[in-house]
Amino acid sequence: MKAFAKIHPFVLMIYFLTIVTVSMFVSNPVIKLLSLAGAFLFSFMLTDKKEKLEDIKFYLPLALLIAVTNPLFSHNGETPLFFMNGNAVTLEAVFYGIDISVMIISVMLWFKSCNIIMSSDKLIYLFGRIMPKTALIISMAIRFIPMLKRRINEVSRAQKTMGLYSVQSYTDRLHSLVRVISAVIGWSLEGAVETSRSMKSRGYALKGHTCYSDYKFTGKDTAILSVFISLTALAFWGTSGGCLRFYFYPVISELNTDFRAVVTYSAFGVLAFFPFLFEVEENIRWTYYRSKISALRTQEQKSRL
Amino acid sequence: MNIKSGSFNLVFGESGCGKSTLFRLCKREISPNGKRSGNILYKGTDISILEPKISACKIGFVGQKPDEQIVTDKVWHELAFGLENSGLKNTEIKSRVAEMSSYFGINEWYHKNTDELSGGQKQILNLASVMVMQPDILILDEPTSQLDPIAASNFIEALKKLNYDFGLTILIAEHRLEEIFPVADNAFAMENGRIIFSGNPKNVCEKLKGNNLEMSLPTPSRVWSSLEVNCECPLTVRDGRNFLRENFPDKFGREISVKNEHGSSESKNNTAIEADGIFFRYGKKLPDILENMSLTVNKGEIFSILGGNGCGKTTTLNILSGIDIPYKGCIKILGKKINSYKNNSLYRNTLAYLPQNPMSVFIKTSVREDLADILNVLDIPKNEQSYHITDISQKVGISDFLGRHPYDLSGGEIQKCAIAKILLTNPQIMLLDEPTKGMDAFYKNTLLTIMKALKNEGKTILMVTHDIEFAAEASDRCALFFDGGIVSYGVPNEFFSGNSFYTTSAGRMSRDFFKNAVLCSEIVRLCGG
Amino acid sequence: MKKDFLVIFTLVLLAAVLIMGTDFQSVDEYYLTHISDIKEDSYTVTLTISCKEALENYDRLDEALKNEKYVPSDGFILKPTKYVLRKGDTAFDVLYRAARYNRIQLEFQGAEKNSFGSNYIKGINYLYEFSCGENSGWIYTVNGVPPNFGCSQYVLKDGDKLDFVYTCSLGASVLNFKTNGR
Repeated sequence: MKAFAKIHPFVLMIYFLTIVTVSMFVSNPVIKLLSLAGAFLFSFMLTDKKEKLEDIKFYLPLALLIAVTNPLFSHNGETPLFFMNGNAVTLEAVFYGIDISVMIISVMLWFKSCNIIMSSDKLIYLFGRIMPKTALIISMAIRFIPMLKRRINEVSRAQKTMGLYSVQSYTDRLHSLVRVISAVIGWSLEGAVETSRSMKSRGYALKGHTCYSDYKFTGKDTAILSVFISLTALAFWGTSGGCLRFYFYPVISELNTDFRAVVTYSAFGVLAFFPFLFEVEENIRWTYYRSKISALRTQEQKSRL
Repeated sequence: MNIKSGSFNLVFGESGCGKSTLFRLCKREISPNGKRSGNILYKGTDISILEPKISACKIGFVGQKPDEQIVTDKVWHELAFGLENSGLKNTEIKSRVAEMSSYFGINEWYHKNTDELSGGQKQILNLASVMVMQPDILILDEPTSQLDPIAASNFIEALKKLNYDFGLTILIAEHRLEEIFPVADNAFAMENGRIIFSGNPKNVCEKLKGNNLEMSLPTPSRVWSSLEVNCECPLTVRDGRNFLRENFPDKFGREISVKNEHGSSESKNNTAIEADGIFFRYGKKLPDILENMSLTVNKGEIFSILGGNGCGKTTTLNILSGIDIPYKGCIKILGKKINSYKNNSLYRNTLAYLPQNPMSVFIKTSVREDLADILNVLDIPKNEQSYHITDISQKVGISDFLGRHPYDLSGGEIQKCAIAKILLTNPQIMLLDEPTKGMDAFYKNTLLTIMKALKNEGKTILMVTHDIEFAAEASDRCALFFDGGIVSYGVPNEFFSGNSFYTTSAGRMSRDFFKNAVLCSEIVRLCGG
Repeated sequence: MKKDFLVIFTLVLLAAVLIMGTDFQSVDEYYLTHISDIKEDSYTVTLTISCKEALENYDRLDEALKNEKYVPSDGFILKPTKYVLRKGDTAFDVLYRAARYNRIQLEFQGAEKNSFGSNYIKGINYLYEFSCGENSGWIYTVNGVPPNFGCSQYVLKDGDKLDFVYTCSLGASVLNFKTNGR
């Protein structure tokens, strides 16, 4: 398990919400690039070698495609490169396309990491604090889906051996599939009766339901949360008053580099790189401890000799 | 019926005799609706006026189906579920859950999704998540009926331990009595909604002599009751061996002659299924499930494949039925290559497959509709359909269930209906996956009769099963499946008497005494004649 | 799965490009250096492109456009100018030619891409629909009256006075509610 995943779910949720919101709604290329870099580094830490390669194979072409899409459909901008069917394909639109693709890819990468870090029990824990019943329903639904899939597979296989899926006709196959699914739903409803019995017999109807969780809010979590909050506050202070405003049409505006902007960039930069740095720090600490242990051992051995 | 605190109580009887109803009445939260008379008292208090919390916590209930009883998606959450409901604090839940998962050895899969567990693990989890609530009495309604024998005996071991270690009162309904009968303090035999005999298991055995329920008793007891001997009824294999030694010393060394019929009949056009050098795996990166598996099944025989869990038995059936396709190897069905059967011709008049879960065969709201449905698929005209349905239901003995919803039937009933449905396709070869799962002795007997009848019609049956006793009784030949292929073949007497562990309890009981006896009836014959 | 997504995306994009057409022009080809001279006997129209309303609603205007370059302080992107009217010229044709000659930026949505069956003017001189509040956009009038057709459907006559007007109020100030596309 990754060190970052061990932070309290509430803190993690705040973090991912902030970072994704900022990446999506702040229209400043520096902020977006920082977000992309942070998301990229962190998501790379979470995946193995093979997956990394696959990710690159997926996200790079996707980024390219998104970047190309914008100038094809948006013709604003002062610097036409060429004209297509009477409308200009402009340099500004190309850059704007790149900007959009940076934003989309970074948000996707954040979601990917979030998906790995925020396992279903963490989400249910968070939900459970606000809406215990809903959390239970979600938990049951998460359990239900793979079961349903398995059953559909099971029934359709069984029906196949009875000659229900004739290979040639698509309509026949579709018809059979519909019947299988309706049968499985009936079956599952029957199962749900059993489940509700199991719930009742374990006292579901009792009053005073509590919500069990393994998570404890430690001092470390408080510290991390306060770091997040202060960095976010700093970034908010920076963006208020439009100091980070940036636009591409009709001409690409100049990047603000005054003191306030630089402070905002760095605050956000720390925020975006936080998960990555946190992992690196934990790794270093672990190697340090290990080397200390082995040093102690050699010392012991020496003293014994 | 009176259950003493700290005792182990067994209720047995044919399916549909009212065991489940009785048990559900004992647990107020899930009592069936209907007219009720009489009282059920828990520690002197009628359960209908018990405090909700005591009723929920102190009377634990574990049902038949491992899957359906699980509520949440994570193992830890499932364990905590009952405690959450009773409103315990986080710290207390934590210590109780920790305690239980250590006791049941759940630690290793504590963080897993409940969906990834095996059937046996699921049932242990169901037991543990009831036990965390610290019940005084545990009611179990056929908890092992959906499990394979190894998982089932693990489960029963766990129950035994709970009873011995904590004095937990156990009330269990079972039809696999071989293991549980010797353990129980009290046995209750039920018939048609009433308890006909009760008391110490040995006494119950003695009283059951001549009753239909005799069939479901453990083998040693069955041998005892078929032989007129004046001594205590043996319950375990150990007692059974002593019983043979003490009462029939003069019969020692007798043997069952093994008919060696398969040597002559192996002519070419007599094979129903021929698989040669089959290799199969589910994914590119996954290990081979089947490795150089070869198998020949003759026409008109009942062939059983035995073997542990996950060794590829079911996969073999999937491959022979054409659902899965091996990446190497050749399969011939009735002498014709399997891929030369185009469209559905393999499944028309040739081969039928009954999957492990007979429920998956049904897609309509009544058995009759389902049978009619398959006839529609086979393009049989409407006016002939009712004739076919009546014919088949008489043959298999399901005329009474035709109007019922498939889900409302018991394990044995639905299995018979499923057999009826696949028989309508008029197959030459039938593949059965675990046909005795969840069946009581009575239904097994019926199934045996059906299978023998089908065999006499010249149909070939290939079944995969964990049920050694049934395989010994039903099959012409048996095979042991291990590590992706078949390791040994044989006629049952030869096959099972050759194994010392993987054999029937009759085989174990008579191993040093008689030669080649693997069935209860064979022991009786050798002792008598 | 992911691969399929990429392939589908690429195919959709290619299809879109093919449907839109592949008529490419370089910048030099696009801008006209010469426009038909007005002779004694040639038919003419007078074209005006104005953005007075944007000036009136300057506070609602996009930050990026608050510039003399985009919204001239006199309110004219193109002061009333006479152009030769060729036979069959529509309002759009005259505007398009004038924009190409005067190097005024113009973006339109082709008639095949909307439900009006007419080219729809999205922006002139970087001033786009919605650039100045949600009711803003381009409309046109002929001799002070907004026609009932789209601008590439309306055929002009000799001496017509063609006005492209940027409105911030769905055209309420220019007589009734009639916009250029509709």
